[in-house]
Amino acid sequence: MEALKQRAIELLEKGEVKAVLGYAKGTGQARRAFFARQPGQVDKLVLDEACTQNLAAYATKHEVKKLGRVAIVAPPATQRALIQLMAERQLRDGDLAILAVDEGAIKELGSAAALEEHLALKAQGLDAKDKTLLAKLDAMSREDRWAYWQNEFSRCMKCYACRNSCPMCYCEHCTMDCNRPQWVPVASHSIGNLEYHMVRTMHLAGRCVECGDCGRACPVGIPVHLLTISAEETVHELFGQRAGAKAKLDYALSTFKTDDKESFIR
Amino acid sequence: MAEPFEPKITAFVCNWCTYAGADLTGTSRIKYQSNVRVLRVPCTGRIDYMMVLKALHKGADGIIVSGCHPNDCHYTSGNYHARRRWMVFKKMMEVMGVDMRRITFSWVSAAEGARWAQLVNEVTDQVRALGPYSEFRQIVGAGIE
Amino acid sequence: MSRIGVFTCHCGENIGATVDCAKVAEMCKDIPGVAYSVDYKYMCSDPGQRMMQEAIKEHKLDGVVVAACSPRMHEPTFRRAVANAGVNPYMCEMANLREHCSWVHEKGEATTHKAADLIRVLVEKIKHNEPLFPIKVPVTRTAMVIGGGVGGIQVALDIANGGHKVVLVEKSPSIGGHMSQLSETFPTLDCSQCILTPRMVEAAQHPNITLMTYSEVEKVDGFIGNFKVTVRKKARKLDEKLCTGCGLCIQKCPNKKISDEFNEGLGTRTAIYVPFPQAVPNKPVIDTLNCTFYKTGKCKVCEKLCPTGAIRFEQEDELVTLDIGAIVLATGFKLMKTDVFPEYGYGKSKDIIDGMQFERLASASGPTSGVMKRPSDGKEPETVVFIACSGSRDRSKGVPYCSKICCMYTAKHAMLYKHKVHSGKAYVFYMDIRAAGKDYDEFVRRAIEEDDVKYIRGRVSKIYEEDGKLVVMGADTLMGGEPVEIRADMVVLATAVQSNEGSEELAQTLHVSYDTYGFFAEAHPKLRPVETNTAGIFLAGACQAPRDIPETVAQASGAAAKVVGLFSNDELTREPIVAVVNRLPAPAYSHCVGCFLCLSACPYQAIEQEEIKSRSGEVIKTLARINPGLCQGCGTCVATCRTKAIDLQGFSNEQIYAELMTL
Repeated sequence: MEALKQRAIELLEKGEVKAVLGYAKGTGQARRAFFARQPGQVDKLVLDEACTQNLAAYATKHEVKKLGRVAIVAPPATQRALIQLMAERQLRDGDLAILAVDEGAIKELGSAAALEEHLALKAQGLDAKDKTLLAKLDAMSREDRWAYWQNEFSRCMKCYACRNSCPMCYCEHCTMDCNRPQWVPVASHSIGNLEYHMVRTMHLAGRCVECGDCGRACPVGIPVHLLTISAEETVHELFGQRAGAKAKLDYALSTFKTDDKESFIR
Repeated sequence: MAEPFEPKITAFVCNWCTYAGADLTGTSRIKYQSNVRVLRVPCTGRIDYMMVLKALHKGADGIIVSGCHPNDCHYTSGNYHARRRWMVFKKMMEVMGVDMRRITFSWVSAAEGARWAQLVNEVTDQVRALGPYSEFRQIVGAGIE
Repeated sequence: MSRIGVFTCHCGENIGATVDCAKVAEMCKDIPGVAYSVDYKYMCSDPGQRMMQEAIKEHKLDGVVVAACSPRMHEPTFRRAVANAGVNPYMCEMANLREHCSWVHEKGEATTHKAADLIRVLVEKIKHNEPLFPIKVPVTRTAMVIGGGVGGIQVALDIANGGHKVVLVEKSPSIGGHMSQLSETFPTLDCSQCILTPRMVEAAQHPNITLMTYSEVEKVDGFIGNFKVTVRKKARKLDEKLCTGCGLCIQKCPNKKISDEFNEGLGTRTAIYVPFPQAVPNKPVIDTLNCTFYKTGKCKVCEKLCPTGAIRFEQEDELVTLDIGAIVLATGFKLMKTDVFPEYGYGKSKDIIDGMQFERLASASGPTSGVMKRPSDGKEPETVVFIACSGSRDRSKGVPYCSKICCMYTAKHAMLYKHKVHSGKAYVFYMDIRAAGKDYDEFVRRAIEEDDVKYIRGRVSKIYEEDGKLVVMGADTLMGGEPVEIRADMVVLATAVQSNEGSEELAQTLHVSYDTYGFFAEAHPKLRPVETNTAGIFLAGACQAPRDIPETVAQASGAAAKVVGLFSNDELTREPIVAVVNRLPAPAYSHCVGCFLCLSACPYQAIEQEEIKSRSGEVIKTLARINPGLCQGCGTCVATCRTKAIDLQGFSNEQIYAELMTL
């Protein structure tokens, strides 16, 4: 922590970055995103178990980009999001100073290549709780799975917190905002909710960095992250590709192999 | 006594293979059940999964998505992209608990007129046996005033 | 509010017998937006089209649904008709009431309702149609002809004589194809080489024709008018510019025992060789599989002896990329081999030969100099049996089709044999005699009546060897199936015509369709027989289906006319069915976020980057842009785009959504 703070002060003092994007204390035990713009504000930065938010979601915002070069505190999932954003040309290589945080150790990564190399060394694993839930879903009958999600979605009010928390949902004009034609009904009724989550899942298949922020962001506790994670895992199983691994775009759904294996097309 | 259930089948087909194949079914005067309504697009690559979702929304009991066999795409690779999309889409739908027996993906070439008739008949019979997709229709009705 | 006209066609009885067209027309009147609805016996007829045009004017229609046959059939017809009435042609859609409804369903209420449904969907689509305008693209006025047989040569000469450049690509070392192997041709019995070789020379010397022999097409990019074709020039191991074609290397090559392809294995050739004496170009090739130097590292006799020092053992294949405006496929056919017939002993007997081998035996330039000698022992055959339909029209051989040329060449073979061996006996086993063509039936009659060839209608069930003879067991079905046994010295199988080696791969390289048997598919069996479904690629000859020489040449000239027609304009008009990235006012500029996930989804590399710059030249946003010249309108990018920034003209999101909401 002290090393992080020290480096943050240095970066700010030398003018190498305009701000350091990290975590600060929020309400209660929660942590929130915090921009330290003066060396004096660095003291507010915290780094602990509760710092789960994927700050990469801020990196693509106009307001942040306008600041100039920014340093970003990046646990593994954030690192994956950042490299995927570079692959999707939403961040330019070198625009950010990445303060990679891995089990307490801090490493500063200045380029996409360095980030890619750094990520290659690490295995990506799912949270134990998510694994259990996914296995439980998998074991259900189709009818039960349908009932499970319908029950979950019945609480959805389409606040779009899941969308807004997601670093990969950076589009200024979302399909949900599309009204010519209105593909997905705006209202938060059963069909509108179902279609919203289906579309969100499809959009993130092959792009989800599995940070789980969407699920944490849901104010009514729908495990929406399981949808995108399972779609991402499907892509990995089927095609061997994974989002958040390479700085060069390798999107499973706009590439193909002539011998892609399936057994359901008649 | 209520009328026997007749399923509503929506088919999304590419212009060059399956649509042409269905034309050949006609030219060969091969009969098939009339439940299907065909929507023509240039290529399976054009078939956005949104279309399938909207067909379900509009009360389709069964859906056929069909295009050129691998290697035969008029646009060389639209069907390969489509195939990947379907692979992921199918899994997503399964995770959501959608009854995938109602959605049939297939390759029907311009030469396979008889196969088109057979496919339509098989899908129609299968979906008729499954009955109306009430599960989905219910949620479409729910909450809409 | 739209003013849409619905025109329901009876297509005579084709639709009218199954669908109640008058009722359909009535039902359509109630669809919101439909200003006029009528039914008519033949909408595509002149009066039908005129009636439609008058209705468009009278009722001020701004969109038209023609409910008739498949849009794949008559969409261009009706779009033209609509355009002539002053409405944008892309404001016309067709509901397929014939192929997709009346022909496939029984007469009844449900079928009539389906017909109305099909129309309803398109009425809703049309409400979202926008007028579209053709796209103009430049045309490279150079044609490529693939295949240098008689068909390819004819195409090349016709285009070249029309004043355009032609590249003629042939995979073997010489042009000439199968025709150069033939002895004499039916029905005139003129010498094949005598009529073909002058054409070969003419092609080689034509200022507009570039020959690329011993070359194969490797890759094709681009589109009509603007193809980029990569050709692999296989290494001849020879500097063609230095070689004078003196033939010394061939005379002195120590490796003389290689089975000769040109003589269908009935003769031998050397490792450095020209396929036949009149080859064009008359430049040898080293067969690296059989050359002693490539096998042992020693020899190089040819190199030592070559007076001009033209031999190049180190020469590698060369890849050449060419700008081409149109491509004609004339890749020909192959004959089924004799070894697939168990009943004929798998062709193990040397004296059971195929038609092409007989041509070489009968040819004055062949291995026997045209003297009838059977391959096994060189004796003059006293009795020869010819078996037509060997493999053709035989489902068990995977060839249900008629090979078309065999009836004629079998008659010719029997005649040639009788002309050479006057005392000999010739028998022909046949299923039917298909001799339709100018002077064709007369030719077969001559074989039977003047040359005393015995025609037996029936199949041969078995051939076996006994005492140096081939015992042919058959039946004469015109004699009540009476068994026939002929002790022959030689048997000639008229084996089936099949699509050439590598046809399917070539079709895939060129993105053209092919049928179950590997023959290339024409765009329309009757009306567009020399075009493929891929714009700018045409067909000539037996690569499409079995054909004889006159047909091949006629089709070749047809294909050439198509190419010359295409080249008669400076630019080409293309269908505006292309994808477009939307544009918005600042500061958004577009819904495109510039993620470029669509980039690799495009099969045509049509997606480019476009930078939006401020007045000071600073890049504000990078967007995708679709090159309308390259885009073919598949729509794969459209389905990939998350923000729906890309849309496909003619099949737009709004149009499809409207259609779906009608179902």
